[in-house]
This record gives sequence, C-alpha cells and structure tokens, in this order.
Amino acid sequence: MPDWLVKNQPYSPPPDKDQFINKSILSILRILSKLKSQSGYQMDKFQVNAALKVAFTFLLVILLSLSTSYTFILVVDVYLLVVLSLMEGKEIVKILSVSLAMAIFTFMILLPNVVLGNTYTSMMITLKVLSTLIAVNILSHSTRWHSITSALRRFGVPNIFILVLDITIKYISMLGDFSLNMLYSLKLRSVGRNNNKYASMAGISGTMFIKSKEMAEDMYAAMECRGFTGEYTVHNKWKWSMADLLYILKTVAIITAFLYWGRI
Amino acid sequence: MIDLKEVSYSYEGTIALKNINLHIEKGEAVALLGANGTGKSTLLKLLNGLLSPNQGVYRFNHQEITPKKLKDPIFSKKFHQKIGFVFQNSDTQLFCPDVYDEIAFGPRQMGMNESEVAKRVNDCLDLLGIQSFKHRQPYHLSGGEKRKVAIACVLALNPEVLILDEPMNGLDPRTQRWLVDFLATLNQAGKTVITSTHNLDLVQELSKRAILFDESHGIAADLPTETLLEKIDLLKRVNLVDESYPFH
Amino acid sequence: MHIPDNYLSPSTCMVMGAAMLPVWTVAVSKVKTEATKAKLPMIGIGAAFSFLLMMFNIPLPGGTTGHAIGGTLLAILLGPYAACIAITVTLFIQALLFGDGGILSFAANSFNMAFIASFLGYFIYKFIKDRAKTAKGEYLGIIVGSYVGLNMAALATAIEFGIQPLLFTNAEGLPLYSPYPLSVSIPAMMIPHLLVAGVIEALFTVAIYSFIKKVSPDTIFEGTKHKIHPIYGLLVTLICLTPLGLLASGTAWGEWGADEIKNVVSGGKQLGFTPAGMKNGFSFNAILPDYSVTGLPEIAGYLLSAVAGVAIMMIIFKIISSFHKKNSREIPKS
Repeated sequence: MPDWLVKNQPYSPPPDKDQFINKSILSILRILSKLKSQSGYQMDKFQVNAALKVAFTFLLVILLSLSTSYTFILVVDVYLLVVLSLMEGKEIVKILSVSLAMAIFTFMILLPNVVLGNTYTSMMITLKVLSTLIAVNILSHSTRWHSITSALRRFGVPNIFILVLDITIKYISMLGDFSLNMLYSLKLRSVGRNNNKYASMAGISGTMFIKSKEMAEDMYAAMECRGFTGEYTVHNKWKWSMADLLYILKTVAIITAFLYWGRI
Repeated sequence: MIDLKEVSYSYEGTIALKNINLHIEKGEAVALLGANGTGKSTLLKLLNGLLSPNQGVYRFNHQEITPKKLKDPIFSKKFHQKIGFVFQNSDTQLFCPDVYDEIAFGPRQMGMNESEVAKRVNDCLDLLGIQSFKHRQPYHLSGGEKRKVAIACVLALNPEVLILDEPMNGLDPRTQRWLVDFLATLNQAGKTVITSTHNLDLVQELSKRAILFDESHGIAADLPTETLLEKIDLLKRVNLVDESYPFH
Repeated sequence: MHIPDNYLSPSTCMVMGAAMLPVWTVAVSKVKTEATKAKLPMIGIGAAFSFLLMMFNIPLPGGTTGHAIGGTLLAILLGPYAACIAITVTLFIQALLFGDGGILSFAANSFNMAFIASFLGYFIYKFIKDRAKTAKGEYLGIIVGSYVGLNMAALATAIEFGIQPLLFTNAEGLPLYSPYPLSVSIPAMMIPHLLVAGVIEALFTVAIYSFIKKVSPDTIFEGTKHKIHPIYGLLVTLICLTPLGLLASGTAWGEWGADEIKNVVSGGKQLGFTPAGMKNGFSFNAILPDYSVTGLPEIAGYLLSAVAGVAIMMIIFKIISSFHKKNSREIPKS
C-alpha cells in the first residue's frame, strides 16, 4: 500500500470552466425522460387509430403552412387548445413549454422585421410556428411512438425504414443511458482543471461509437439467429371505431374551414 | 462521516428510495443488499451527489450536501475528490485512449506535475497488479481487467470513501475473491468502503455490516452481516432469495 | 441548423424533397451493396449515435458551449451513403417525435445536414487524403472537410431562407415566410458558422476520429481504394446548386439586396400598421376582440371565443394542479 493512499489528501481544487459536462448531462436526461414517459402511456388516448392521427397532423401542418388567413389559424389554435385542455396537466406543461420556447425564439429572430414595420409577417410566422409545434407535440405526447412508426406503413413507407426507425428509438435510449453514465463518470473524476476538454468529450463520443458498432454487430447476429432474412412486416390491426369516425369528421371540418378562410 | 436523515427520492413519479435513515462511520465497510430495482444504485448515486434527494437531508463530514452547494464548482470538485465511485458498467467509466492516461486523468486534474503523476499511476498499477497493460487501450481489455483499471483510476484520486456498484458482477470466481480481499485491505488501510452486491457467498468477507433493502424501496434491516444472513425468512420476504435457498 | 416549419414555403419544401429523393434512392441501393455485415442495425444504431452526438455540449472559449452536427464525421466513420441515411433517420425522429425541426422542412433539413454536410465533407476529406497520403494529410482532410461541409450546409440553409421573400409574397408584397433577403440571411448564418460552429465541428471531428483510430481502427469505414476524381467534387457542387437553380428560376439574381429590404420597409410603412391582417379581418388590439372575429359570423365568433376561454381555463387549472401534485408527491406520508 503506497503511503499517499493511507494519508488524507489535502486538496483545494483550481477553478475551471466545465459547464459543458452538466449541460450535456441535462440534455441527455431530457431525452431519456421523454423516452421513459413513453412507456407510461396507456393504449392510445381517445382510442383513435394512430394512422389517422398522423395523417391528420400532417394535413394540419400543411394547411397551416399554406394558409394566409388569420381566422383559419385562430380556428386551428382554438381547436388545439381544446385538445390540449383534455390532456393531463403534466403533459400540457411539457407541450406548451417546448412550443412556446421555439415560438419566442422565432419572434426574437423576426423582431428586426417588426421594427422595420412588417408586423404582419412576424405575427403570422410566430403564430404558425406555435400552432404547428403544438400540433406535432400533441401527436408525440398522446400516441405511443411504436404506433406512430407502424402507422407510417399505411402511407407507403417501406417496412425496412420502419424497422430502422424502431431500432433507432430503442438505441437512443440504450446508448443514451450508456453515454449518461460516461458523462457522470467524467463529472465525478473532473475534480480539478481539465486541460484537454475536447479529448475527454471525444473519448466519450468515440467510445460510444465503438460501442454502437459492437451493438450493431451483435444485433445483426441475433437477428440472423432468429431467421431474419431482410423482410420485416409491420403488424397492426385496423378496426373502425366510433372515435375514428368522429376524428374523420373533425378532419373534414378543418379542411372546410381552410377552404372557407384559407385563401391560398 | 455519512449521514442520511429521512431521505426519499422519486423520479418522474416513480419512487426509488423511501425514507432512508443511514449513518456510516469513517473507516467502516458496509454492504448493500437487495433484489434488483430496490434502490441500491439510486442510493449510491445520491451519496455521490449525482442525484439530490427530493426530501430529507444528506450530510457528508457534517456538511449538508444540497443541489445549490453542488452547483458551486469548487465545492462540488472537493466533494467528488473525497468520494470515489466505481460504476457498475466499467465500460462507461473508461474514456481515455490508454490505461496510463486513464489513471493519470484524475491526478493531472489535481494539478500534480508529470513526475508526481507518474509515481501515482505506477503505484496504482502495482497495487492492482496491472502494470503489464499500462499502454493498452482500456476498451479492448477483458471485463475483469476493465474493472481493475476503473478501480485504479478512482483510487488515483485518493478518495476517503470508496463506493462500488456491484463490483463483482461479470467477474470470474478467482477475480471476485481477489477483489474482496483487495477491498478488505483498503478498508484496513483506513478507507471507508461501501459496496452493493448480490453475492451472498462473499458478502461476509466484504464487510461486517450489511444493509438490506426491501421492495418498497426502504431499509428492511441494518445488521451485522453474519446475523442478517441467518435470517433466511427475511431474505425470502424481500425477494432476494427463493425457496431453494440455502442451496444444499 | 434545424429549420422549423413555416420558415420555408411548402413549395420550397417540395423542391427540396424532389432533390432528396434521388439522393435517398441511390444511398439505399449503395448501402445494400457496399456496407458491411451489420448494415441494417448499424444504420439504426448509427442514427441513434448521431442523435446523441448532437446532445453533447462542447466547451467554447469563454466558458459557453456549442454542439456539433457530425455530418462529415459520420460519413468518414460509416461511409457517406450510410451516414446520409442515418442522419436522415435522426432528423425524421427529431421532427416527428421531439418537435425539433419541421415536418415539411424535413427534406430541406435532410438536404443541408444529411446530404451536403456529409457528402461534400466526405469528398473533400477523401480528395485531400488521397493526394497527401500521410497521417497529417488525413487530418488536414478531416479538418477541411468537416469545416467546409458544415459551412456549406449553413450556406444552403441561408440561401433557402434568403430566397423566400423573393419568391413568396402576398398580394400586398409582404413576405409570407422567412422575411429576410439573401443579403441579410447569408451574413446572419455564415458569420457565426465560419467563426465558431465550423471550428467546433472541425476540432471535435478530428478529436473523435483520432480517438477511434487509436482505440479501434478497424471500425472505421474503408472507402474505395481508387482516388476520387475532381470531377466528382464538381458534380456534388452542381447537385448542391440544382434546387437553388430550380427555386431561383424566373427570379433575376441581381435584384436582391438593399432594394429588397427597402421595398419591404416602404411597403410596410406605406400600408400602415397591419395591412394584410386587416384585410383578412384581424385586429391586433386583442386576439378575439369583442368576442367577434371579422370574417366569421358573429355567433360563430362568440362561440369560438367561448371555447377558447374554457379551454384556456382548463389548461391553467391543470397546469397548476400538476405542480401541486408534484409537490405533494415529494412528501410521502410515512
């Protein structure tokens, strides 16, 4: 046993700017918590088929982008508010905070334009950005992601692409967990001044890459063992329900509103 | 040295620790036992300041550890130097291109000059018997070798407390035995050693005191290891072992 | 660099989609023929890697942080075709599930980050590496490739923004989408990218590459043995310019500039406070003034206001109670 190890270490750390570790930890944590909250969702809320929801959200995004009418956007906003008000408080906070942050950012970017006198464009774009984000976030917060990806099958997206999407989502959480622990370990061992911060972050990223390559090879081996031949079929049963019908009525209403006020 | 008062922790609505009271003296060796998912890892992360309790007080060396204090980089670094943490998955702990740099990472941060760093790294390599792969890449070592490197790079910081999260996992029986003896030596040298483990055969040699977690994320028992291991009904009740235990 | 929806016109997005379609098609068929055994999982897991890489904050001088895109890095590590698909998948997940980057602008984002940043960066890297043939030459290739790749991606983004006010205005001549002309959008995008973001990208790319090269060189994509002919560089540049040409056809190039802003400014002043909005029956005094929205029948306007009011009240109530719940959860009764 070396004697330095037996003695207590008198130590006062030198100052260093290493906020990047904490910031990285926070952004990974945010991703992981969003992925984790996914597993908590009951079968899709309101029991509407995910394919319909995805189609409707896409349609809404397109119509919002095309529209030049404030009235149409306001009608959509009121509709989105109603949907939002039926969700859980926790989710409302998440959806609104993400969407508002981006809308405010957009408004800031457009601020010089307002000063120049063009309030119309700035207000319109900010409002559209906000509405679009709320619509997309409602979709991602109220539908299980697996339902969303398999719903894409209905729009002619190849099975193989959906398989890749599913793998990606799964591995974001696995590699995310791995990299979170690496960042934790970097944080715990960063007890002083790090003179080569890039090397540390590169070590973490590089290790993550090598790890991901290994995982990919393992996964391929496992797929082969289970008889994977390159074909992947997405199974989902489609049964019409009352909720679906109502959902389609709602879609028709939005399109009518668009045609009435939309004025491309 | 370590003092937890009514500490609870929950994440996204899931309770991970409930009402934990725990006191650990300087120089003690403590083992944490419990079924999977009972909160052992969460407690270890909390002791390291990676998580902060939602409720209750955590004191280290009579000083309350709060998120606010940990935001101060000087305080937080001083604190992290005193507590070393060996992660469950050694892969996550190693991010330098070779073993020497890996172990030198801490001492270099502490502002030692290169000759002091070299001495310290070599001492650590000797201590763990890994002098032969000084210049190999940590990533390609075997599981047992990686664990040794991870322990070496934590020891290089000369922490007062050493915390290990299931260090025996994935090691062969010989290395497990070696590790238990090594931790005992460290403990005798005055280090406080806190270990979580599932290994009921070796836990007696690991520490005299054992803390058992139950599935409601609280402490079910805090007893001398020998006494705890005799309470087979208790071990069964917390789902740590099944009906066939002890296996003979 | 993730463009949200409504910054670009839907027709711009369609043009970008049309430009990406052949790229994706070629990339998929190339990956099928040339990638290694673990190709399919590698693309998914590579996409997860690229997703997380964008989450990593890297220190900047002065204590602030930024993050890399990793387009060129991924192309060097996985090969440009696999990288293109992996980044596309990342962007898709970010847009659809995380609300980061738009759904309509997905193709434009793919064009900038999955296509330009990875292909152009990779070709520059390969071009320099093939000619220099030393380790230094290789690193020079990585630095120049990732720096130029990122900056060209930023330039493409700036151009996409900048042509919006030229092409898409309403009857009053007010821009419908991103209102800044090229003379504003290019410097606004390029100055920070040339000075800061490009430098981070290059430094980080080199650092990660050299780590992997040291630790596990066999995991890096090998690439073709033969040299890349300069003609390919020209080809890539031309492909980069194609959608631009499509978009700009019919618009005289010399027209943009100070005149453009002046027009917008004088247009705005000339038309007063809220020209187009007033025509469509919107007043800025309140969101739903007097419970009626012009252009809507009075009853409908009243109803709309009422529904909005109820929904807002419910949202506020739920937000408050969600905070309340959170607090009460933290104090479990023992």
